[in-house]
Amino acid sequence: MSNTHVIEQLSLPRDPATGKPIEPIAQPGYYPGYSTLSQNEYWDAATRSVVLERVQKVPPIRFFNPEEARLLTAVCNRIVPQDDRDEGHRIPIMPFIDKRLYEGRIDGYRYEGMPTDPEAHRLGLKAIDEIAHHLYGTGFLDIATGEQERVLKTIHKGNPPAAREIWQRMPVHRYWMLLVQDCVEIYYAHPLAWDEIGYGGPAYPRAYMRLERGQPEPWEVDECRYEWIAPPGSISDTYEFIAGEGEHRGTPGQGGTH
Amino acid sequence: MKTPLLGKFSFPPRGQHMLGPLQHIDIPMKRYTESEAVDYCIVGVGSAGGVLLQRLSRAGFRVVGLEAGPFWDSERDWVSDEAGSHNLYWEDLRITGGADPLALGANNSGRGVGGGSIHWAAFTPRLHPSDFRVYSEDGVAVDWPLSYDELKPYYEQLELEMPVAGPAYFPWGDPHGYAYGPHPIGGVGDVLIRGCTKLGIRVSVGGPVAILSGSHGDRQHCIYRGFCIQACKVGAKASTLITHVPDALRSGAEIRDHCMVSRINMGKDRRTTGVTYFDRDGIEHVQKAKAVIVSGYAIETPRLLLNSACPGFENGLANSSDTVGRYLMAQAGNVILGSFAELIRMYKAPPAHALTEEFYETDPKRGFARGFAIQTVGPLPIAFAKQMMVAKGAWGWGLRRVMMDYNHWAALGLLGEILPWPDNRVQLAEEKDRFGIPVPKVTFSLRENDKKLIEFGKNMVLEVMRAAGAREVVQEARYAHLVGAARMGDDPRTSVVDRYGRTHDIANLFVCDGSVMPTQGSANPGLTIQALAARTADYLISQRDEIFTSNQRNMERPPFRRHLAPPETWGKGVPRLT
Repeated sequence: MSNTHVIEQLSLPRDPATGKPIEPIAQPGYYPGYSTLSQNEYWDAATRSVVLERVQKVPPIRFFNPEEARLLTAVCNRIVPQDDRDEGHRIPIMPFIDKRLYEGRIDGYRYEGMPTDPEAHRLGLKAIDEIAHHLYGTGFLDIATGEQERVLKTIHKGNPPAAREIWQRMPVHRYWMLLVQDCVEIYYAHPLAWDEIGYGGPAYPRAYMRLERGQPEPWEVDECRYEWIAPPGSISDTYEFIAGEGEHRGTPGQGGTH
Repeated sequence: MKTPLLGKFSFPPRGQHMLGPLQHIDIPMKRYTESEAVDYCIVGVGSAGGVLLQRLSRAGFRVVGLEAGPFWDSERDWVSDEAGSHNLYWEDLRITGGADPLALGANNSGRGVGGGSIHWAAFTPRLHPSDFRVYSEDGVAVDWPLSYDELKPYYEQLELEMPVAGPAYFPWGDPHGYAYGPHPIGGVGDVLIRGCTKLGIRVSVGGPVAILSGSHGDRQHCIYRGFCIQACKVGAKASTLITHVPDALRSGAEIRDHCMVSRINMGKDRRTTGVTYFDRDGIEHVQKAKAVIVSGYAIETPRLLLNSACPGFENGLANSSDTVGRYLMAQAGNVILGSFAELIRMYKAPPAHALTEEFYETDPKRGFARGFAIQTVGPLPIAFAKQMMVAKGAWGWGLRRVMMDYNHWAALGLLGEILPWPDNRVQLAEEKDRFGIPVPKVTFSLRENDKKLIEFGKNMVLEVMRAAGAREVVQEARYAHLVGAARMGDDPRTSVVDRYGRTHDIANLFVCDGSVMPTQGSANPGLTIQALAARTADYLISQRDEIFTSNQRNMERPPFRRHLAPPETWGKGVPRLT
């Protein structure tokens, strides 16, 4: 077993019964064999074209410089870890953040006291690297995944131990929400993520027929659960409120639910 | 992979402008020249603008609607995809601040013909009679300058024009029934029924929502695909784009899309002469009009009035009371999420399909004024992930884990009344948009009554979710809808417009949209906005040419003109309102 292989094994989720790493597979989640993309012929043309372009065309990097791009990729890999996915089935995140910032698309508002989205992302990356240096004496790219999580967790908890001048220019929790939202908006827009969570996907013009009791449509599959635990050394599989208990008053910029 | 029961669908013929799979309209439409003054220029063709355009053109007025966004083709422009639907929302820069800053954009702001009615969830409860008398009954906020009874005929009529599906008996406020049958329930509705039943709370199921439960004219019924707030490709959910705009165009109205109005122009006689706007190529135009109606909703309406400041109106148009932009309201929209052992699959069925208004009215025992509703919501994966980020603090492996359980979660929404406060307001920021127009700055902070109401309401929804059998319950604070910021009233010193929407300061300038609402109740505002628009239209029509030539204000209540509604929406079949 090579050294790199051992390190990779350290970032794999485990089977709680045996304690052994669960080898990366094409489709993690509880819906084995389910594929929303296999249904694309039944979608309307406009939806098909938008979703297929997302799957087939990974945007070129035009906003971030190569160092920033490498750093942000590593950050995205911890915000939405994909070590349990095999290489052919990982969902690119950083290039789509780059695309949004390059095209200047925003969600329609900016919090007072926040820099612009492009500036916030640049400043945030700088701060993340400074925290890594402060805690581990080296850059974010050179520390283990568990250590990377500890760096990010300081931002999540609203008490980053370094880069004070950056946090004076932007509230910590606003940056964290911007970063996590950008990542989840891209990951859960991908049909592979839909398959993972058993989401039905586009259903026009075909319709859903079985509304009650969580029953699957003819093209959906039944749930098939398995147990897994986070990789050893990971601290992101527990739940703590952003910026400390009871202080998460800032609302996320999500699509309205009602 | 299993094969579906039904085969593939054949798409409608190409080359037509589609409004749903069956309805298409013929473009080009009538074009007015800019130099000839039209009767009414309407700024914003959304919920209110669409209804106004239809009524005024049917009554024979020459009307132009200027819309900042596109004239949608439902087949070409809309998708069944969360991330692909950003074009539906107002995503130009706004600054948001205050102690409790509002999320804007997709949360509450539409763009394009149909406006917010394109991406609303289409819950259509009426306001209660008490909503019009909040100051008289509770000593807070203000009374409306009109009563529930004055608006009631318009509620009944708009419920037919959309039309609204719901139960035959709706017990709250002014009890009434819906003529169009309720929808089947989905997993989230089932959770609400279970929880409410256990606690002895009455619940309305299958509506009221402006979504077709059966086909209607050339619109087909709902297919329960769950993408209501990403625009309804099916044509089942009502939007003014499909319910009113086609009839407006047939009646001779013009809609200019991709036209951003930058200012309302004033003449020497303290009357408006029309508007200045930028077209899709950024070229500036002037449209002359005998009267202007601003229907830009609670942020763009005050922004435009403030940006139109000129000699004689230094603080912005219609702002002698310093009320333009003030008393902006959002509703408490906390989302309460419960995880169940069984599967829910909340992406199926319309997000809006069951609610309770049992807690709507003031209850002195609770220690705060006014109340709230509880409604079903149905976040799709991206919205749900963002909720988990806040409600649980999820990220990393914890995020992946909770998302793998997406199908086990149900979501209920609190819809709570937040009172109007003068410091919750829209102002102009330093920054400018791509046309060089100053962007709006929105300030929002909760006060004591609001905080108490939210705390109580949130806990009640948590209780309902637990009673339904949830094994874990979490919640996310947020806000829904926007109204106020150009409120109506009888006193020109404390309000922007009179009871018919005419600005107190300028005799031929009107505001008609959610911004005129003095208070908001715990009802989703869409139906009320359209009902107010139909009422303002009746007033304008009854004034004939008076508004174009005179500064006199006739405050007589106008007759209700059902015959100006789009054909086929009244007078035959069931119900037959006469």
